[in-house]
Amino acid sequence: MPVEVTMAKLSPTMESGQLVKWNVKVGDPVKEGDVLAEIQTDKAVMPMESFDDGTVALLDVQEGDEVAVGQRVLVLAGKGEDPSQLAEQMKGGSAKAEAAPAEKKEEPVAAGAAAGTGAAPGAGAQGASGGPDYGHSTGSATNGQQGGNGNGAAAHGGRIRSSPLARKIAESKGIDLAQVDGSGPNGRIIRSDVEAFLQNRGAAPAAAPSGDGGAGTAPKMPVAASPARETRRVPHSRMRKTIAQRMLQAKQAAPEIHVTADIRMDQIVSLRERLNAQLSKQKVKLSVGDFVTKAVAMSLRAHPGLNATYEADHMVLHGQVNVGIAVALDGGLIVPVLPDADRLGLVEIRQGTLALAEAARGNTLTPQQMMGSTFTISNLGMYGVKQFDAILNMPEVGILAVGATEPRPVVEDGQLVAGQVMTVTLTADHRAVDGAMAAEFVRTLKGFLEEPASMLL
Amino acid sequence: MAVIQYREALNQAMSEEMERDDRVFLMGEEVAEYQGAYKVSQGMLDRFGARRIVDSPISENGFAGIGIGAAMVGLRPIIEFMTFSFSYVAFDQLVNNAANMRYMSGGQFSVPIVFRGNSGIAGNLGATHSHRPEALFSHFPGLKVMMPSTPADAKGMLKAAIRDDDPVIFIEHENLLGDKGEVPDDPDFVVPIGQADVKREGSDVTILTYSRSVMTSLKAADKLAEEDVSVEVVDLRTLRPLDMDTILASITKTNRCVFVEEDWYYCGIGAGVADRIYRAAFDELDAPIQRVAAKDAPIPYNRTLELDILPNVERVVEAVNSVLYR
Repeated sequence: MPVEVTMAKLSPTMESGQLVKWNVKVGDPVKEGDVLAEIQTDKAVMPMESFDDGTVALLDVQEGDEVAVGQRVLVLAGKGEDPSQLAEQMKGGSAKAEAAPAEKKEEPVAAGAAAGTGAAPGAGAQGASGGPDYGHSTGSATNGQQGGNGNGAAAHGGRIRSSPLARKIAESKGIDLAQVDGSGPNGRIIRSDVEAFLQNRGAAPAAAPSGDGGAGTAPKMPVAASPARETRRVPHSRMRKTIAQRMLQAKQAAPEIHVTADIRMDQIVSLRERLNAQLSKQKVKLSVGDFVTKAVAMSLRAHPGLNATYEADHMVLHGQVNVGIAVALDGGLIVPVLPDADRLGLVEIRQGTLALAEAARGNTLTPQQMMGSTFTISNLGMYGVKQFDAILNMPEVGILAVGATEPRPVVEDGQLVAGQVMTVTLTADHRAVDGAMAAEFVRTLKGFLEEPASMLL
Repeated sequence: MAVIQYREALNQAMSEEMERDDRVFLMGEEVAEYQGAYKVSQGMLDRFGARRIVDSPISENGFAGIGIGAAMVGLRPIIEFMTFSFSYVAFDQLVNNAANMRYMSGGQFSVPIVFRGNSGIAGNLGATHSHRPEALFSHFPGLKVMMPSTPADAKGMLKAAIRDDDPVIFIEHENLLGDKGEVPDDPDFVVPIGQADVKREGSDVTILTYSRSVMTSLKAADKLAEEDVSVEVVDLRTLRPLDMDTILASITKTNRCVFVEEDWYYCGIGAGVADRIYRAAFDELDAPIQRVAAKDAPIPYNRTLELDILPNVERVVEAVNSVLYR
């Protein structure tokens, strides 16, 4: 049996990937587990492994090609099959490739509903549907193997691979290599990549004088030449492109409603102090954000309509509460997932959040850690932000924007007193969530945070 | 300039130096009456007489030692090993005595001697006659190691070796002995020790190589040129001391390097050279250095297997493509 290998979905938001490098060529024998190619997703360069044995009969795409998820990239000849004969038969696409749109329809479920339905309680993001789909027609992969792939990405790490020469040139020209896409093996940045980047950047300063001279008249005031601070053009990273596309999509597709509330945090603040004193021996330090995560997860359990995904003809109400936690990176934003957050204790939430943030910043998140969130929290409190609106993390129907907990004047029993106050804003998809429903969710959240003991009920 | 064979160029180098300096003499098995097992010393017995062209019995340890003694007292011997595999019998003389004498005697003795002969993977000579001892001898401080690839280099380099005041290991290649090329007639034409040669200019990748692998590399460069890959081929010529200036100039120009050698991969000449490049020019490299060497096995007698073990044009092309990420 010939095996048609298609472009895998290696990250939840991936719609296409660049085939950076073929590790096989026509005629090569392939064993299960061999790395067939390296794929650049919107997040990292990842290996694409084979789940079958066979002989490479046909490569459908070339290195550097952008390939849609589900599109066939390679055909393996099975035992006893003549690869060259097979290549002739299979040239020019396949039924599988034509079937891709139908499969695509199901993707939002895979990405959004994710770990929800099939997984046993506690299995979390490792659940059956949580792993990346490598697009193999056999579909017999085990989760263990998929975990292995995730580790492949981890091995890539947060390090930027670059040749010594590329580093030297980048340093002398003041280029941050993080902004340069690498075309070498494993995404290694080589001289030509840096030069291409320089050329793009060079276009910007060159354009500036032409703007000045455009009118053709002498300037009225002599303008002193300012010290060289060049205007730069930084090509979009893949992550930036993805963020831009997804933010635009969310704003265009979902009519949003914003619900804002001030929450008294005095009890949380003092509880946090007491608990941290107890936990100091364990070297755990809870943040206000951990209490918020816990309260949000509990509120979601109480309001399943917000722990949901909007589909064309139905709502998907997720069985698990998987809280996505937005993490700011140097070049963008990523949302790793804390599975079953409503079942976790505060210490587990703290440790899980820390580990995810660290992995996110180190660029070592596995696909599992990025998939299957059902609701997202975006916390800018640590920057001293009082209040803001977040944009939906589609296809989720809600995202909570969390501001700083700070002393503010409050009126208590007609008296002006100082209280610890935090402002939160829920952004909800109004197609799925009505104003009252959003307000009830916020009220529940407010209740949990203002009376933390109620979370024990 | 006359077009002559590599073996004739070696003959010319020795003859001219013997004309110039009557302290120079040649000793080895079959060098006199039989005119050399590979006809390198053809006609030299008639020309210089039996005092200076000396047949020795099969006794490498002995005649190498005699040569070293002669050099210590003022003569300038050329010791021929019929094939360099036989030098192992005289290994102690070469690496303990010749290499160390100047150092051990506090500079009182120099050993102006040339140990020469052919080596390399030739045609069907089997494992013990197909040695590439260059990495072995390059390991020892006190020895200079030269390996010419063309007839002109063979002559110029051997003359430099004979004129040098220290021991020189001069390794010819059996498969090059019949190669022809233009060779200068000037009796003072010498190719100084420690001077590499750019055999072909190029801009995309540098191939560092020596001896017969130069020819393999040039053929590979021709083939790659058809695909618009511009390959620079640098012939090291002297393996110790290395001409790092020429090597680094080329690496700085191309930023990519493939090392082609006929000896074994592990601890081969390329390993030592790559180390020096990494330390001196790390920032000039856009890709790791690739090495093409003989496969890791004794050299088979069978011709098909022998050819398979050798570095060949295809393997060099593949290595060049890999450092270019093609």
